[in-house]
Amino acid sequence: MKQTLITIALCLLALGVADASEPATIVVIVNPASGIDKLSRDEVIDIFLGRYRKLPSGRTALPIDMANPNADRARFYQLLVNKNPTEISSYWARLVFSGKTSPPFQVPDAETAVELVQSNPNAIAYVDRAALNPGVKVVLEIKP
Amino acid sequence: MKSSPDNPQPGRRSRFAAFVPRSIVARTSLSILLLAVVMGLMFSAIESWRIRVAEHDRLLARVHELVGTVESTVSIACFLNDATLAKEIAGGLLKNRIVAGVRITAGATTLFASERVSPVAGRRGAFDTVGTPVYSPFDPKSEVGRITLYVSHAEIEAQAAAYARYSVGILSLQMAIVAAAVAFLVYLLVTRPIKGISDELHLLEIRSGMRLTLPSGRRKDEIGQLVGDVNALMARLTDALDSERELRQAQEISERRMRLVVDKADTGILVLDALGTVQSCNPAFMRILGAAARPGALLSNLLAPHGPAVAALIAESYASGEPRDKDLELAASDGRGTIWVELSVNPLGGELLQALVNDITERKHAESAAQELASHDTLTGLLNRRGFDSALAKFLAPSRREIRAALLLIDLDRFKAVNDAYGHEAGDRVLREVARVFERTVRRSDPVGRLGGDEFGILLHGVDNAEKAQEIASTIIAGISQPIDIGAGLKSHIGASIGIAFAGPGTESPAGLLRRADGAMYAAKQAGRGHACVAAPPSSHLSADREDESESNAA
Repeated sequence: MKQTLITIALCLLALGVADASEPATIVVIVNPASGIDKLSRDEVIDIFLGRYRKLPSGRTALPIDMANPNADRARFYQLLVNKNPTEISSYWARLVFSGKTSPPFQVPDAETAVELVQSNPNAIAYVDRAALNPGVKVVLEIKP
Repeated sequence: MKSSPDNPQPGRRSRFAAFVPRSIVARTSLSILLLAVVMGLMFSAIESWRIRVAEHDRLLARVHELVGTVESTVSIACFLNDATLAKEIAGGLLKNRIVAGVRITAGATTLFASERVSPVAGRRGAFDTVGTPVYSPFDPKSEVGRITLYVSHAEIEAQAAAYARYSVGILSLQMAIVAAAVAFLVYLLVTRPIKGISDELHLLEIRSGMRLTLPSGRRKDEIGQLVGDVNALMARLTDALDSERELRQAQEISERRMRLVVDKADTGILVLDALGTVQSCNPAFMRILGAAARPGALLSNLLAPHGPAVAALIAESYASGEPRDKDLELAASDGRGTIWVELSVNPLGGELLQALVNDITERKHAESAAQELASHDTLTGLLNRRGFDSALAKFLAPSRREIRAALLLIDLDRFKAVNDAYGHEAGDRVLREVARVFERTVRRSDPVGRLGGDEFGILLHGVDNAEKAQEIASTIIAGISQPIDIGAGLKSHIGASIGIAFAGPGTESPAGLLRRADGAMYAAKQAGRGHACVAAPPSSHLSADREDESESNAA
């Protein structure tokens, strides 16, 4: 409940930062040199939740996550798999000891994520549409 | 308890009976405990079966729950094809003893299959499988794998059985405690008081004032009622016994008095059955009829010459229900003379009759003495005129069929002289001696009478010819003609003249017969005394008689 309230509060904060009139849209971005134009929702889930770490083009995928607490992160997982950040943390916590897969690499903010995507063709990240940069390619828009 | 081969039946029974306790306490307690055991076994069987079924279902449900608890982790393992995670889950599941094996598959790949299952997995009967599809943690519609748990039948059965055993054990224990409690309570509330009452009653003597003690606090229940009723019953019993004893004493006294009366009575008192057998009798009866008169004898035998008459009398009285009596002449029990008894028989009701035997010998003698006085001559003991006339009339009664007899009319010769010369006493001696002569000569049954001073009559029954009559007459004359001692050394010499008349068939009157005999006697005197003359037969029957009569009347 507390976490839900925090989430809502963070969402409202994000909306306040972005365009207030329109709900913020999260976009999945890759390096233009990655060789892919589009990703399906399931492919994004598989990559970010550790099922596959490969892009459809055969390239190893390097998913980039935001560090908690982050409004984009909450929004991303909420829209993608209908889970809050705590649930996602719990999900990864169970996998800590299996060693087969690991949570995505985390960055503190959207700018760092975008920079990483611009510099690494394997990188894949999610950002608020407002933080888009011409140096990256949008492969999936996640709308509410 | 011996059992012999001859009678194995009682032996076997007694051996069996040895196992059945006699005491109500032991029997009741044993019954309750036996019942508890039987019911306990029955309930245990039912309960055991029910528990095993329920436990089986419960364990299977538990397996489903187990699957539920690991569902989210399994979905992650399948989603990620994570064999390590799958192994970890399986390890956790296998810690449950009922889980014999786990198989987790993601699509075509088997993430985990436990070794414990694989060798016997083919044997379907040995395991229950609980399988459920696994969905993606992020998309409940997308199936990412399958988890299957293998549950050992043997394990389930063993656990269910263990639980059932435990439950049945508890149940049995409860049952045993309850049975013991019930047995104890029954002993305390019912059997012990009853045993106490029973023992007390068993040792109780029948006397007035006896009482059973009431167990404390039981006044108002059935035990109290029982004791009260038994006490009331005993009080009534002793009262009845007391009053009966008093009654018996009174009866004894009255009986003794009665017996005294009966014993001291001069009358023979006896009880007979319907056949005339003496049932009981008093001493007087024995005194009268002699030593043979005792219970068991037949009365008709005791009264021997009258046996049939006595039997008839008894039968008649018994049949009619009315008293009957009869006078009987018997030979005296001491063999001297005869006695007369009056027998009267009274029905007592039922099969019995009462008989009274009175010795009436004296009365009879008095009677017969009076009779004799009326019909006999006191001097000679022969019949007097009246007696002889009645004997004659009886003999000549028209109702008699056959009349054959000779009438002898005897007149003494020279008697008047003796009387005159020596006095009446000498005459009387002569007359008595004459009577002895008659008695010596004729049969006892033939009536002999003294008709006048020195005139006698004899009726000889059955004598119908003159020779015989003459012979008898001669004997008489000869007897009388003998010298007769008249005292003081003197002897008289008298004689007799006899007239004989035959009574033949017909209706001649006694007077007619006497007249004819008188005529013949007169003729004998005329012929010179010491003779006997036979009278002519009556000239004709009725007419002659009439004539005779009219003649004599005229004379």
